Amino acid sequence: MDKSWQIVVMYILTHLGLLFFLYPANIIESSSEAQWIPIVIGVILHFVIVLIYLKGLSYFKNKNIIDIYSSFGKLWTILLLIPTGLYLLMINIIMVRAYSEIINIIFLTKTPLWAVMLLILSISCYLSMQELSAIFKTGFLLSFLFLPLVLFVIAISFQNVDWRYVIPIWSSDFSFIKKQSYLNSYFAIGGGFLFLGFIQPVLSFRNTRILIGLAAIVPAYLLSVYVPVLTFGQATAETFIFPYVAAVDGINISWLMFDRITMFFLLCLITFIMLFIALVLWKTVRITKYYIPILSEKWAAIGLAFFIYCICLRIPNWSDAERLFQINTPLRFYVILFVPLSIFGLGLWKKRKEGVNG
Amino acid sequence: MKRYLLLILLLTSMFILSGCWDNKDINHRVMPVVLGVTQQDENYEVYLQIPQPAGGQIESIVVSGTGKTVNEIIDHISANMERSVDLLHVKVIVVDRELAEKGVKDLISGFIRSRDISSKALFAVIDQDLSTFFGAMSSEPKAEGTILLDFFEKSAGWDPQIALTRIWEVYRSIYSYTNDVAVPLMKLGKTTLVEHTGSAVIKNGVMMGDISANKTLLYNAFNGESTLGKIEVLDDASVMILGEKMKFKSKLEEDIPVFSLFLKLKVTILETINDPSENEIKKELEKLLTERYQSLFEQMKESESDILGIGQYFRREIPRDQLKEWRSVYFPELKVDFNIEIDIQNTGNLKIRKG
Repeated sequence: MDKSWQIVVMYILTHLGLLFFLYPANIIESSSEAQWIPIVIGVILHFVIVLIYLKGLSYFKNKNIIDIYSSFGKLWTILLLIPTGLYLLMINIIMVRAYSEIINIIFLTKTPLWAVMLLILSISCYLSMQELSAIFKTGFLLSFLFLPLVLFVIAISFQNVDWRYVIPIWSSDFSFIKKQSYLNSYFAIGGGFLFLGFIQPVLSFRNTRILIGLAAIVPAYLLSVYVPVLTFGQATAETFIFPYVAAVDGINISWLMFDRITMFFLLCLITFIMLFIALVLWKTVRITKYYIPILSEKWAAIGLAFFIYCICLRIPNWSDAERLFQINTPLRFYVILFVPLSIFGLGLWKKRKEGVNG
Repeated sequence: MKRYLLLILLLTSMFILSGCWDNKDINHRVMPVVLGVTQQDENYEVYLQIPQPAGGQIESIVVSGTGKTVNEIIDHISANMERSVDLLHVKVIVVDRELAEKGVKDLISGFIRSRDISSKALFAVIDQDLSTFFGAMSSEPKAEGTILLDFFEKSAGWDPQIALTRIWEVYRSIYSYTNDVAVPLMKLGKTTLVEHTGSAVIKNGVMMGDISANKTLLYNAFNGESTLGKIEVLDDASVMILGEKMKFKSKLEEDIPVFSLFLKLKVTILETINDPSENEIKKELEKLLTERYQSLFEQMKESESDILGIGQYFRREIPRDQLKEWRSVYFPELKVDFNIEIDIQNTGNLKIRKG
C-alpha cells in the first residue's frame, strides 16, 4: 500500500530531532564564517545519496535490502549487512547515551542518568516491538500533536537575530572538510534515510513524494545553524554545546503564558528522537533476525535494548560520548556511501542480466 | 494469567507515571525575583529578594550569604531556609559598581552554563553599596518583591531612557568582536525608591564607564527600541517624541570607517517659553541631538567600547579576522556624519508662530 505521506512525515520528524541538538555546534565549530557552505555540501551529498538509494531500490520491486543482499549471496551480506547492523547498533547506543545526557544538561539536572536512559529505551523498545506500521502511525500522530509547536518555536526563534551577522557570505577556507567536528555533523545527515530500504514490502512509497520530504527538511539544516549565529555572532555561538537551545532560551514573549518555551520545544524533539530510536532498533532487529532466524522478534528487541542499556551505562561522561561519535565516523561513511551505491550497482546489474535473458 | 500479569504491570507503572523524581512542591520552594551579587576580596556576597505573600499582601524579604561561588552561597542559603531556593524565576540580576568594574565574565558565564537562571533575566549595575540598597528594599513598606522588576517592565515602569539588557546580551559582549552593551545604572532615590542615573558601559564583561540617561535614549533609539513618549526639554520649549526613523550608511575610506546616520524624528510641542517659532524649535532640537550623539560617540571611542554595535555595519568591508581588532584599531578612527531631521507633527492645542 502506498504510505508515502507517513514515510515523509517520519523522515521529517527524525531529522528535526537530529538537527537541533548537536548539528549546529558541529558546523559552527568546523567553520568560522559562511557556514552555509559546509551545510550545503552536506545537504547535496545527502540528496545525491538518497537519490541513488531510491533509484537502486526501485530496481527491486517490493524488496527490502536484506532480501536484496541475501539474493546476491553471502559475500554481500557480510560486506554490507553486517557493517550496517553494527552501525545501527552504534547509532542506538550513541543516541540513547547522548540524548539522555542532553536531557540531563538541559533540564533534568538532578535526575540520575540510568532513569532517563531507561525511560527512553523502554518506550522505544516497546514501540519497536509493534508492527512497522504502528511506528509510522505513531509518527503521524506525533506530528499532529507536536509539529505545530515546533514550527512555532522555530518561527519565533528569529526574535533576536541581527541579520548583519550573515556577512561575510563567502569564504574560501575549505579546511572544515578535514575537521572531526564537521565529520561528526554527518551524524545528522547519514543514518536517517537508511530506513527507506527496510520498510518494503510492508510500506511502499513513491519516490517523488519522498523527495518532497527531503526538500522540506533543507531549511531546518540552515535554520538550526544560522539562528544561533545570527543571534549571538560566531565568536559567542562557538562557546555553546547546544547553540540552538541557547538561542531559543533568549526568546522573550510577554503574551505567551509560558516563560520558558525551550522546555516544550525540547520535549517535542525528544519524542521525535524516541521515535527515531524505535525505528533504528526495529531495523537492527530485522538484521539480527536474518542471522538468527529462530529468535522471535519481540525477544530480539528486548535483548538488543538490554544490551544497549548495559553499554550505555558503561559510558561514564559526555566527553566519552563525544568520542563515540568520532569512533563511529569511518563506519558511518562506509555505510552511508556504500549501502546506496551497492544497491544501485546491484540493481543495474540485475536489470542488465534480465535484459540479456529476456 | 496474562491478564493478571498485565494488571500488575499497569499498577506498578503508576509509581513512575506520576513523573515525579525528587520533586519539591511549590509551597516548599522560594523563588527569588531579584539576585544581587557583590564581591568582597575573593568572596562573592549574594542577596536574594524574595516576594512573600503575607496577609493578603505581598511582602518581600531579603536574604544574603557569602561564599566562593554563587552556587555555593545559594546552596548554603537553601540549607538554612526551611524551603529550597529555586532560581528559575529570577528576573533581575544586579551587581555593584565595584564588581562590574572588576568584570562579570565568570559570573555571567556561570549563569549561562548552569541554566538555573533564565538567560532572559535583566542585568543592572547598582551605583551604591548593595547592603544599603537591599536594606532599603526590605525596610520599604511598599516594596513588593516585584518593584525592581516593574521598573523594567514595558507595561509598567519602563521609560525610553532605560536600557534593557539581558543576561545573554551581556554574555555575547564577552566574546563578541563588535557588540558591547549598556546596562542600567541605579541607586536608591531620595523620594522614589530607586533612581535611574544612566547606563553602565560594559565591554568584554568589564564595566568601562557610564553614560547619562539622555544618551541611553540615543542608545535605545539606535537599537530600534521605541523612544515614543520621551520628553525632550530645550531652552525655549519642551517636546514629546511621537515617532522616529533611522537609517545608516557605512563605508571604508582608506581604512578609516565612515558612518552616516540619518534620523528622522516626529515630535509634538508640549510647552514653549518666550514664544519661539517652529523653525527655531526644530533647529534647537537638531542641534541638541547632534551634540548629544557626538558626545556619545566621543565617549565610546575613548573607552573603545562599541555599545551601538557600529562594527556590525562594517562586516562587509572588514574581513572577520581583522574585525577582531575593530574596537582598538578601526573604531577610534571612526568618522560619523549626523543627519538629523525634525518634523513637528502637531503643535498641540495652540497655534505656533511660523517662520
